[in-house]
Amino acid sequence: MSDQTQSDLQLEFQINGRSMKRRARPHQRLLDFIRDDLALTGAKEGCGAGECGTCSVFVDGKLVKSCLMPVAKANGTKIETIEGLTGWGGDLTPVQKAFHKTGASQCGYCIPGMVMAATSALRENPKADIEEIKERLGGNICRCTGYTKIFEAVEMARDVLSGESNAAVLDADGPGKSYIGNNVRRLDAPSKVAGRLRYAGDMVMPGMLHMQVLRSPHAHALIKSIDTSEAENLPGVACVITADDVPGEDGFGVFVHDQPIMARGRVRYVGEAIAAVSADDVLTAARAVSLIKVEYEPVAAVFDAEEAMQNGAPVVHDYAPDNIVKHIPIRKGNVEQGFAEADLVVEQTYETQPVEHAYLEPEAGIAYVDHDDVVTVVSPSQNITHHRHMLAKIIDKPINKVRFIMSPVGGGFGGKEDMIYQGMLALSAMKTGAPVRLVYTREESIISTAKRHPARITYKMGLKQDGRITAVSFRMICDGGAYGLSTEGVMRKAAILSCGPYNVPNLEIDVYGVYTHNTPSGAFRTFGAMQSQFATESHMDICAEKLGLDPFEIRRVNMMRDGAVTHTRQELGSVSMGRVLDAAEKASRWEAGPAGMRGQQRTDLGGDDTRPPCTLGARFRKTGDDDRQEVA
Amino acid sequence: MLTCDHYHMPTSLADALAMWHEAPDGARLVAGATDILPWAREGRAGDVHLPAMIDLSRVPELDGYAIENGRIRLGANIVYQQFLTDQTLRTLLPCMPYCSIWFADDQIREQATLAGNIVNASPAADGTPPILAMNGEIEIARLEAGDIVHRTVAVGEFVKGPGATDLQPGEIVTAVTCDTLEGYGGSFQKVGQRRSLVISSVCAVACVKLNEADATVADIRLALGGISPVPLRLSKLEQMLTGKRLTREMIKEAARLPADLVASRTRREYRRVVVRGFVEAAIEDALADCGAALPNAKTRETEHV
Repeated sequence: MSDQTQSDLQLEFQINGRSMKRRARPHQRLLDFIRDDLALTGAKEGCGAGECGTCSVFVDGKLVKSCLMPVAKANGTKIETIEGLTGWGGDLTPVQKAFHKTGASQCGYCIPGMVMAATSALRENPKADIEEIKERLGGNICRCTGYTKIFEAVEMARDVLSGESNAAVLDADGPGKSYIGNNVRRLDAPSKVAGRLRYAGDMVMPGMLHMQVLRSPHAHALIKSIDTSEAENLPGVACVITADDVPGEDGFGVFVHDQPIMARGRVRYVGEAIAAVSADDVLTAARAVSLIKVEYEPVAAVFDAEEAMQNGAPVVHDYAPDNIVKHIPIRKGNVEQGFAEADLVVEQTYETQPVEHAYLEPEAGIAYVDHDDVVTVVSPSQNITHHRHMLAKIIDKPINKVRFIMSPVGGGFGGKEDMIYQGMLALSAMKTGAPVRLVYTREESIISTAKRHPARITYKMGLKQDGRITAVSFRMICDGGAYGLSTEGVMRKAAILSCGPYNVPNLEIDVYGVYTHNTPSGAFRTFGAMQSQFATESHMDICAEKLGLDPFEIRRVNMMRDGAVTHTRQELGSVSMGRVLDAAEKASRWEAGPAGMRGQQRTDLGGDDTRPPCTLGARFRKTGDDDRQEVA
Repeated sequence: MLTCDHYHMPTSLADALAMWHEAPDGARLVAGATDILPWAREGRAGDVHLPAMIDLSRVPELDGYAIENGRIRLGANIVYQQFLTDQTLRTLLPCMPYCSIWFADDQIREQATLAGNIVNASPAADGTPPILAMNGEIEIARLEAGDIVHRTVAVGEFVKGPGATDLQPGEIVTAVTCDTLEGYGGSFQKVGQRRSLVISSVCAVACVKLNEADATVADIRLALGGISPVPLRLSKLEQMLTGKRLTREMIKEAARLPADLVASRTRREYRRVVVRGFVEAAIEDALADCGAALPNAKTRETEHV
C-alpha cells in the first residue's frame, strides 16, 4: 500500500440533519466513516460482508448496508443513522418504544439495525402485513430473540403509527399483583433500541492503539523461529508481542490450563494466535502482521477424534499422551443381562458437526494500565472472575493489580467463556503503556474461537416388544479440538443427560472428550446435551419404527414420571415429561400411528402455530391469489 | 480488506471511458460494490489493494430504461429493487419481480445492479438466467479515437464461464437489453442455504404466454442457473411445449429432461433432483401467474407425503 499516492476524498453530505464537510480515505466504507470519523457507533459491524444488517443506515431515504458502501458513494447524500431517529436525548420513536415494550432486544447488538429495517419497512409501506414485514427484515439477522418479538414490535408500531391502536399500548404494563406472569420491560432496552449502548468495539480511549493478530496457517507445526524485526520497524507500530513476552505462568482454560496466550513453540490448530501487533491504526497493524516471518516445521496432525484415541496417533499435548481430555463413565444395573432380556436390539451411530455460535458481536476488547498500575481489560467475557485469576498468574501480578470489566455481551451462548484474546491485549497495554483495542473480524471469530463439540455416538438399545427399554450402551466420542477449554464440563453434562428423560434399568455410558488438531471445541448452549439428545431421540424414532409403535407411544412407555431416579441417582420430585409429550402431540396435529402410516394427504400442515413454507413476494402477490407464488 | 489509492466517480460516460482507458493495471470498475467488498475478505480474495476504483453509479448515460419495438434497454445503473418497485418494469418483465425478491435483500437490492451481476459472471448469478430467457443482449461502450463506440453481444455469448466474459480492455457495459414480455406469466425458483442473502445452488426461470382461444402455449421461455459454468436456456424443452395445452402430467414428464444438463463440480445428484422439481414448479407457477388453474406450492406440499 502506498500512502503517498493515496488521494483523500472531499465529502459534503448531511448526516442526521446536520451538514458536514469532511475528508475521508478512498478505501473507507460508509460504516468505517460514520463509526471511526463521526463517532456514531449505533451502526455495528457484525460481518463486514452484507450478511447481517447490524450496519443498516438510510442514504437518501433508502436503507442500505453501510459495510457494502464505499464512502465516496455517500458524497452529496443525506444520511440518517439510528442516532438520527430520535436526536440525542430525544423521545424514542414508536418503533423503538414497541421494541422496548415487546422485549424485542436481548443482547441488543442487532437491534439498531433491526430498528432501522423496521423503520424502513413502515416508511416504504405503512400498511405492510406480517409477511411483508418479515420479507423486508430479511436482510437483518438476530441470534437471540428468535424474531417473534421483533415482528410483534413492528406490527405494534405499525398499528400505532396508522392510528389503528392507541399509543398507550406502547406504555409499560403494570405488574399487577405480581411480576410473575406479567410482562416487564427490560431496563436496558432503551439504550439498545436507541443505539446508545456501547459494546467493547464501540469504545475508544485517547492514544488508543489498534491490534491485529498473526494466526497459524498450519494445523500442527513446530515454530522454528519468529522474526518480528521488520514489523517492529514499520512506522506507526508500537509493539509486537509473542509467547516470549509472557512474564508468568502461561496457560488458560476453563478446566485445564493448557492453552498459551499465543502459540509457544508449536501451533496446534489453524487460526491459533502466534503474534500480535499494536499500531496507530488497523491498516498499519495489519501491514506489520504481514511482515512477521515465521519459520514452521509442519508435523503430522490428527483431525478425527477416534483416530486420535488410537495408539501411535500424533500427540496433541505432552501431558495427555492418549489425547484424552476427559473420560466420563457411568454404569448402572447389568447391561449384558438387559440385552439378553430384549426382544430387539438396535445399534446405530450418530454424528454431529461443529457449530459456530455466530453471536452478532464479534470478539472485541480494550486493555489499559491505569494510574495505579492496575492492568484492566474491558471485554464481553462471560467469565470475568475466572479470567481475572488466570490472567494474574499469566502476567505475574498480584490479583489486586488485575481488573476485568465486562462490557455488554453482544451474544455469547457460551462462546465468550474462553480467554482467547484478553491476554494479548493486557500484555500489549503493559508493554506500550497505551490503551490497546482489538476487534475481531467475523472470519477471525469463526476461525479462532470455540465451536460446539462434534460428536460420534454409538448407540445400542435393547427393547421389549411393547417398547420398554431393557438396556442401553452409549459410547460418545467428542472432538475437543486443540485445547481443553470447557470440554471436561461438556463431557460431564453429555454423560449425565445422555439417555434423556427415559427409564433405563441397565446402562453403560462412556463419554470421551479428545484432543485433535481441529479448532478447539467449547461451551455452547445445552453444553453437550444437544449432541446426546439428538442421538437419543433419533434412536427412539428408529426403534419405534422397527417395533411398529407410534413415536409418542414408545416415549410414554419409557418416560420418567414423578419420583423417578435418574441414572446418576438423582431422585426427581416432579417430572413434566408426560405433559410435554401431550402438548407436543397436540400442537403438531400428530397423525397417530407408527411411522409409514400416513395417508395420501397430509393433515398436519398449516396450523396457526406453524410456520408456512418460505413465502416471498408478499408485496406484489395478486389479490385473490394468496398463495399462488409461494415457493416450497 | 479492500484498499485503494484512488476512488473515482466520473459523471459522464466519456469521462468514465477515458478514466478506464488510462487506468493503471489492476484498476477495477465498480457498480453497486456489493460484491467487490465481500470479495476482498479472508476466504475469498483476502486483502486486496487496487491502484484505482472507478465507480459508475453517477454516470447519467447508465441510468433509467427505454422501451422500443418490443425490446427494453435497461441502463447499467438499474438496481434490483427497481424490478419490484417500478410498475412498468413489473409489467414488461414478469419474471423479474420473482427473481428480484429472491436476490439478496431489500437493502442490497437498492445498491446491486443487474448489469454488475451479469458482468461478475458467477455460475450462480440470479440475474443471468432471466435475461437469457428474454433474449438478452449486453450493450458495451469503448473509446475509439476519442469517440464513444458501442457494440452489443448476446448474453449467452457474453458470459464465457465462471468469472469470464467477452468484455475487452477499456470497455464498459452500458446497458442490458431484452424482450418485453407483457401478458406473460413469470416465475423464479431458487434454493440456497437459507432464504435471504444466499447464493443460488440452483435457480430456474420461466415465462409463459397462453393463447386466449384454447389456452395452448403461445410462447414459453425457460432457463436454469447454478448447474453449469454458464446459465442454460432450455430451448429444446421450449419447442416441445409450445403449442401444447399443458397438463400437470405433461409438465412433470417434461421436467425430467433437463436433469442431464447438470454439469456442476459439486453436489450433482442433489442438483439433478432439484432441477426436475424446479422446472416443474417454474412452469406451473408461471402458468398460475398468467391465470391458469394449476396447483401452487402449498397444494404441491400436501400431495407429496
